Amino acid sequence: MTSFRYIGTKRRAKEHPRFVSGRGRFVADIALPGMKHVALVASPHAAARIVSIKTDAARAAPGVLYVLTGEEFCANTDSLAIGVDAPKVTRFALARGVVRYAGEWVAAVVADSRALAEDAAERVEVEYEPLPHVIDPEAALAPGAPLVHPAHGSNLLYHRKFVWGPVEEAFASAEHRIAFRAVWGRSATVPIETFGVAAQWDAGTGILDIWASIQMPKFPDQAARALRLPGNAVRVHYDVDVGGSYGVKRGIKHTVLVGYLAKKLGVAVRLIEDRLENLRGGDMQGPDRFFDMQVAFGADGVIRAMKIRAVDDVGAYAGRSPFQLGKPVTAICGPYAIGAIEYEPISVMTNKTPQEAVRGFGQSPTNFAIERAIDRAARHLGMDQVELRKRNFIRKDQFPYTIPSGSTYDSGDYHGVLDETLAAIDYGSLVRARDEARRSGRLAGIGISSCLEPSGGNSAFEVLMNPKNENTTWMDSCLVRVDLSGAITGVIGNSSAGQGHESLVSTVLGEILERDPETIRVVRADSLTALPSNSPVGSRMAIMLGGAAAGAAKTIKETLIAIAAHNFECSPEDLEYRDGSVNVKGAPSKEFSWDQLVEIAHRKFHKLPPGIEPGLQAKFVWEVPTGGALPTPEGRIQIYPCYAFEAHVVLVEIDPDTCKPAIRKYLCGHDCGVMINPDIVHGMTYGGIAHGLGAALYEKFAYTEDGQLASGTFMDYLIPSAMEVPAMAIVDHCTPSPLTTFGQKGSGEAGYLGAPAAIANAVNDALAPLGASIDTLPMSHLAIWNAIGARKGAAST
Amino acid sequence: MKAAPFEYARAASLSEVCALLATHGDGAKLLAGGQSLVPMMAMRLVRPAWLVDINEIAELKFIAVEKDMARTGACTRQGAVERDHALAARVPLLRQALAWVGHVQTRNRGTIGGSLAHADPCAELPLVAQVLGARMLLRSGTGARTLEAEKFFAGPMATNVRPGECLEEIHWPAWSWRHTGSAFTEISVRHGDFAMVAAAAQVAIDGDGRCVRAAFGLGGVGGTPLAFPKIAGRLVGTRLDDAAVNDAAHAAATETQPGSDLHASAEYRRHLAGVLAARALREARERARSL
Ligand SMILES: Cc1cc2nc3c(=O)[nH]c(=O)nc-3n(C[C@H](O)[C@H](O)[C@H](O)COP(=O)(O)OP(=O)(O)OC[C@H]3O[C@@H](n4cnc5c(N)ncnc54)[C@H](O)[C@@H]3O)c2cc1C
Repeated sequence: MTSFRYIGTKRRAKEHPRFVSGRGRFVADIALPGMKHVALVASPHAAARIVSIKTDAARAAPGVLYVLTGEEFCANTDSLAIGVDAPKVTRFALARGVVRYAGEWVAAVVADSRALAEDAAERVEVEYEPLPHVIDPEAALAPGAPLVHPAHGSNLLYHRKFVWGPVEEAFASAEHRIAFRAVWGRSATVPIETFGVAAQWDAGTGILDIWASIQMPKFPDQAARALRLPGNAVRVHYDVDVGGSYGVKRGIKHTVLVGYLAKKLGVAVRLIEDRLENLRGGDMQGPDRFFDMQVAFGADGVIRAMKIRAVDDVGAYAGRSPFQLGKPVTAICGPYAIGAIEYEPISVMTNKTPQEAVRGFGQSPTNFAIERAIDRAARHLGMDQVELRKRNFIRKDQFPYTIPSGSTYDSGDYHGVLDETLAAIDYGSLVRARDEARRSGRLAGIGISSCLEPSGGNSAFEVLMNPKNENTTWMDSCLVRVDLSGAITGVIGNSSAGQGHESLVSTVLGEILERDPETIRVVRADSLTALPSNSPVGSRMAIMLGGAAAGAAKTIKETLIAIAAHNFECSPEDLEYRDGSVNVKGAPSKEFSWDQLVEIAHRKFHKLPPGIEPGLQAKFVWEVPTGGALPTPEGRIQIYPCYAFEAHVVLVEIDPDTCKPAIRKYLCGHDCGVMINPDIVHGMTYGGIAHGLGAALYEKFAYTEDGQLASGTFMDYLIPSAMEVPAMAIVDHCTPSPLTTFGQKGSGEAGYLGAPAAIANAVNDALAPLGASIDTLPMSHLAIWNAIGARKGAAST
Repeated sequence: MKAAPFEYARAASLSEVCALLATHGDGAKLLAGGQSLVPMMAMRLVRPAWLVDINEIAELKFIAVEKDMARTGACTRQGAVERDHALAARVPLLRQALAWVGHVQTRNRGTIGGSLAHADPCAELPLVAQVLGARMLLRSGTGARTLEAEKFFAGPMATNVRPGECLEEIHWPAWSWRHTGSAFTEISVRHGDFAMVAAAAQVAIDGDGRCVRAAFGLGGVGGTPLAFPKIAGRLVGTRLDDAAVNDAAHAAATETQPGSDLHASAEYRRHLAGVLAARALREARERARSL
């Protein structure tokens, strides 16, 4: 393997000193002169007609500038983008006429302070006439169900049955078949920073400036469209630190609302969600999905075919959320060589808070369902779960490997990673520890998951799920400048939510240009000056931004060599590049130093070769590798380009008397190709596992039958703390991707994609001796108690 | 999450507190550590017209360990009580319970009196007060009175503190038997959460290992923390063997009528009540035997 100078070495992340010393600049740090604050009036009903809204008392309250309602807002802005082909499922920041979920915003109050705005918001009088509502997705699909959007004609947003390969034949001839339902609870990433946005309209320039806590592709474009402004009238500032996201920081509705108010009122306006708004009306809840799984397999444990029916409840509006059923198409058989797959995604609307993208974009729920199927198949046959996995894994020598849904996996070594993981945790002694615990009367179980992390963020699920959408371009870019002093600056066109893009770009530029990354600065253009980016989604930036930075740096390097060749009057092939200087091969003293070359580029046109632009800068814009295609009629398509792999092994113990689970051991084997910054990859993975633990055992946006969010505060939406997250270890493995500059793959979703599956398998292994099982997340203490059943009189234990 | 408008006064003495309470009556709320009150105000679930801050009042912050009891001022921080070794030696249940109350950070701010006055049925300190039969000294502009724990707690988040009264100090009885052991245990979903069910027990045994006194109780299974003096009384004279302990725990659990919520059903809570009561009693017994 190529050796690198900076890539893969342990280096402090460039952004750490800033954050650790409290010098981050978040949206709440943006203080604009005369800035006003917004508070929201939210619907108490899951579904209701708005009979009237009286705003006089609120307007008369101290410090109040304006009260905006849906009538005015919807008449003057356009619907947010809908995603799938459902033009009647329009969506605005403020409800007009009807409300479709409890927590939906009905009016916005603008006042001198947030506290005054909240005081006035209480004085807005809204008269509602409750309407029938539906909370359960299966009930929503039944005939006669109350319609969330009557104009759409049903609650079904998307439904298609894909059949890739001879599924029925395989089921008919297989020796064994199992069927079960796996349920993924509605959870999310819940960042410590809620969503926030500040906006200011400059009537002189006609530009709306926006500072927001965002992680969203096409954000400036969508904001401008909804505000009926030309694209070049909206300037989104990307130099705002984002205090956590992993998908949910979309905030487009918030931004259109605040943008509208800022322009209309001619003052700077800010909205920072409080936690109650964030959880209930911030539209950031994740997939809410059940899977009807069927698997056909032989006595040898080899899986012949799989049927997956996935019903996903997106809540009251569409947005991009139905696409979270689409991304898993790109890894629909996991790491397994399964020849025939049926996949039936069904996207349903209910009167719940709308769903938003969450880490993995629907892949983690799907991985959970697949891994429960693997575990159940092994149990069904009485076969060791490791053995069954190995019999089905795609082998190292089979790559590139095209799966039935048409995506080609770039590379992998699944057997190798699993073996190393089991060796690192000492699987034999882990099994002995479990059996020992069982003998002493405790419930103990080992769970394994082996999952894929598709990466590269080619969002071809859009064209797959919406025939009217022909967007096949998912580029990213970087601009590199070397100034007259010889200092290097990388310019990127997106904000970061902790992914370490400054470390990424400086490392890559340093690697190619052989300059110390510590000296390289990375800055962010705003949306009017930026090169195109699709933002850090879909584990794409190591691949796409890393690749773009490398491409631009290579151009700089070629330019420097060309300048030297011109002045030495030799061919570039006769020269070598070392640490930024260029010398004649075999004659180290015949050299142009970095400073000399930079000076020629900037100031000595007479020494510049013809055809070379003065100054020293290069841009690189590229399309995602393997991207750009439309689906076949059967819905086969290449979505993501690169496939990282993770194997989790976990030992869980459950107190048989209290049903309290505890994780005793946790190890994750991880292969994301070449790691550009190992600390950042490991940090993402640790966090991903903790996040997965939340989804597996604790976190749920639960709704009451009357459509109220029952876990609307951190008293009830339970995020694991440092006390619940176990000590864990990571074993690195490296199978380079042949598709990327350095062999890197994505890793932003690492850990989360396999942790819920592994923990679910471990809990089930622990319950197995009792004949109990759980296929519903989160596996709360109560759920475990219910699964074990009424084991009465346990006071005697 | 901004509180509704309110007036604020920082009282310098207990008599000033009483005067302020007398003037503002029902509209006034005392602010102690603020760890329960402030979030409720931020969510506008509580809207006091006046907030009377008692944090600067020295006479409400003390720990005094006496022969047959310990006294704590109402505004003594939970963390201070937890760290006091002399107190832990005389009334060990307090430290044992405090380990389960919130987090280091909340205990550094939250007070003993605030927790008792808040009267969350799942809270740990009210359970200890109930099991030990703590006495609450209440002060108002017109005088003082003492309430036994069982009279103090009136229901979920409700006490018999009258408008105009301030909890001044709490008397925690200490047992004088040499072989006295106590234990606190609970189940919550996450560490530091309010208990789904909590159990506290204290037992004393004589030189022969016979129980001379026993007390235990359960939190999270009713509107107030519950003590079971009658059932505990049946343990006196026994050797606290597992069968006797389990019977007592089971009897107590059977008496409870817990509610259901998102995290625990009534059946699950009642089940946990039996398990935890038995565990607390056994652990207390082991401690008593080891002395
Ligand atoms: C994250 C977190 C976790 C927590 N976990 C737990 C837990 O596991 N168990 C638990 O028991 N608690 C828990 N708490 C609550 C914490 O223990 C509080 O400190 C306690 O409930 C209230 O005490 P305080 O001093 O903060 O009172 P405050 O919040 O200031 O007041 C609470 C109430 O008591 C009244 N009050 C206060 N002092 C007096 C007085 N002297 N006389 C009369 N009335 C008075 C106030 O007016 C108010 O109504 C948690 C809190 C947080 C923030």
